[in-house]
Amino acid sequence: MISGFSLKRIVNSVYRDVVVQSGSIITGLFIAAGILFIAFLLNLGIEDHIISAQDYAETLGFFYILFGILFTFSTFKEVHDQKKNHLYFILPISSYERILSVWITTYLLYTLAFTILGILVGQLAIIFGSLFSEVSFHFISIFSEEYKSMITFYFFLQPVFFYGALRFSKNKMGKTILSVLLIFLGILFYNFLIYAVLNHDYEVFSGEQLASEAFGLAKNDFSIAGRWLFMIIIGPVMLLAGYFRMIEKEV
Amino acid sequence: MTNTLDMVTLNNLRFYFPKGKQIFDDVTLSFTAGNIYGLFGKNGEGKSTLIKLMSGLLFPKSGHCRVFDEDISKRTVRSLQHVFMIPEAFELNGLKITTYEQINSVFYPRFSKDQFYNLIEGFELSKNQKITTLSFGQKKKVLIAFGIAANTKLLLMDEPTNGLDIPSKSQFRKLMASVADDQRCIVISTHQVRDLHSLINHVIILDQGKVTFDHSLSKVSDRLWFGKPTHDTTGAIVYSESSFAAKKVLLRDDREETEVDLELLFNAVLSNKDTINNVLNNTYHDIRL
Repeated sequence: MISGFSLKRIVNSVYRDVVVQSGSIITGLFIAAGILFIAFLLNLGIEDHIISAQDYAETLGFFYILFGILFTFSTFKEVHDQKKNHLYFILPISSYERILSVWITTYLLYTLAFTILGILVGQLAIIFGSLFSEVSFHFISIFSEEYKSMITFYFFLQPVFFYGALRFSKNKMGKTILSVLLIFLGILFYNFLIYAVLNHDYEVFSGEQLASEAFGLAKNDFSIAGRWLFMIIIGPVMLLAGYFRMIEKEV
Repeated sequence: MTNTLDMVTLNNLRFYFPKGKQIFDDVTLSFTAGNIYGLFGKNGEGKSTLIKLMSGLLFPKSGHCRVFDEDISKRTVRSLQHVFMIPEAFELNGLKITTYEQINSVFYPRFSKDQFYNLIEGFELSKNQKITTLSFGQKKKVLIAFGIAANTKLLLMDEPTNGLDIPSKSQFRKLMASVADDQRCIVISTHQVRDLHSLINHVIILDQGKVTFDHSLSKVSDRLWFGKPTHDTTGAIVYSESSFAAKKVLLRDDREETEVDLELLFNAVLSNKDTINNVLNNTYHDIRL
């Protein structure tokens, strides 16, 4: 299977994806820059007039995820375009090289680009603020727990949308969000049912002390092993599902 | 048993679209290097579907489609590096021709940039033109140039002359004839049989989910005679057009060899496939009309 994996082909595929989407990427970056500029200015206008590492991550977070999801869907547009997907699928690149290259583009490169954009725009907002208000010039730092949490959270969330972008050919985003909601509600209902079946004899629903203690424990003692297991399921497993979707896709 | 020269082999292939009619029912075919195949059939007989099956874009419901002895539906790099397909309807990404070449050619190990740009120039296009500004015919020329320059062993073309103007059709024929060699297999699907005049050397005709005709043109011209006969030909007529002074397909016997009239052959096969196949599959002594 050596011919099925080549670093050169992955790099070429990343380059191809970026070039093909260059127009959308530039437009998206300009829109994001405009929104972030306003958001950073508003941030500078309150309290300490400083964009701290925590402020940076909090301001960037929502837009980072929103634009990231849009970019993921945009990258897979060619797969579902009936006039373009012939040429997409006959390109000599294996399915896992393609999945890996799209993930590199839509997660690694995107995170790097959006972080740099955030720094540049934030710095510009500071310069702008220092010229026209009492903001004093300072450099932005990105190293915070919030920033780390933000990219970790997106690391596990993105594969869900990655799979949705491949799985659905129409109304991709809506169907993906709906599927996630349904799965979430299903798990919630399942947990509630199991909880009710196992505990109904203890009258835990009647507001007794035992019930509040149980809820408290459940809240405080959320298993780290379980969390990692859940992350593994929604992260790599979704990428794997994307791979299988890619190999079975016909035009 | 697979012949070593076979580039594509289809064995007992069945295909249908979900909720659709059967397109192929137990089709067995092989395509060998050094030939230019003309794939003919009426509308809806599955010419485009066959091309897609041969390029791994559709998967057989049963049976096999093997390209270079690999299951093409697995779309391995090793097989796809030697296959290029030009679809009938397509859209190219809105880039400059040079950018299009740069981002796609790197995947084809035998791609020739010089050949590509020479062909682009031959098609009277400028390499700096943006693809979005081109007409459909011009985009098709870009794709034909790319497909030829990719130098793949198997080149599949679905209605390549659709959208080309009259001079370009003639240019296309000359071009294809010049790139054909004994290492390459070219399959051209079309319903415009005249566009492939003097280009193909093997004819495959699809009808009602089956391969009804699969013969080389040299065999056809060796056994059959095409034209308007001047003498009494009773007993030798294989097919005759219905109009007055119509063209006919005759047993050649000792008549002078004629150029194969593809349109006449196509009509003859559709109206009388058993007789035609009987003539081509048997020796002169066995032929009974």
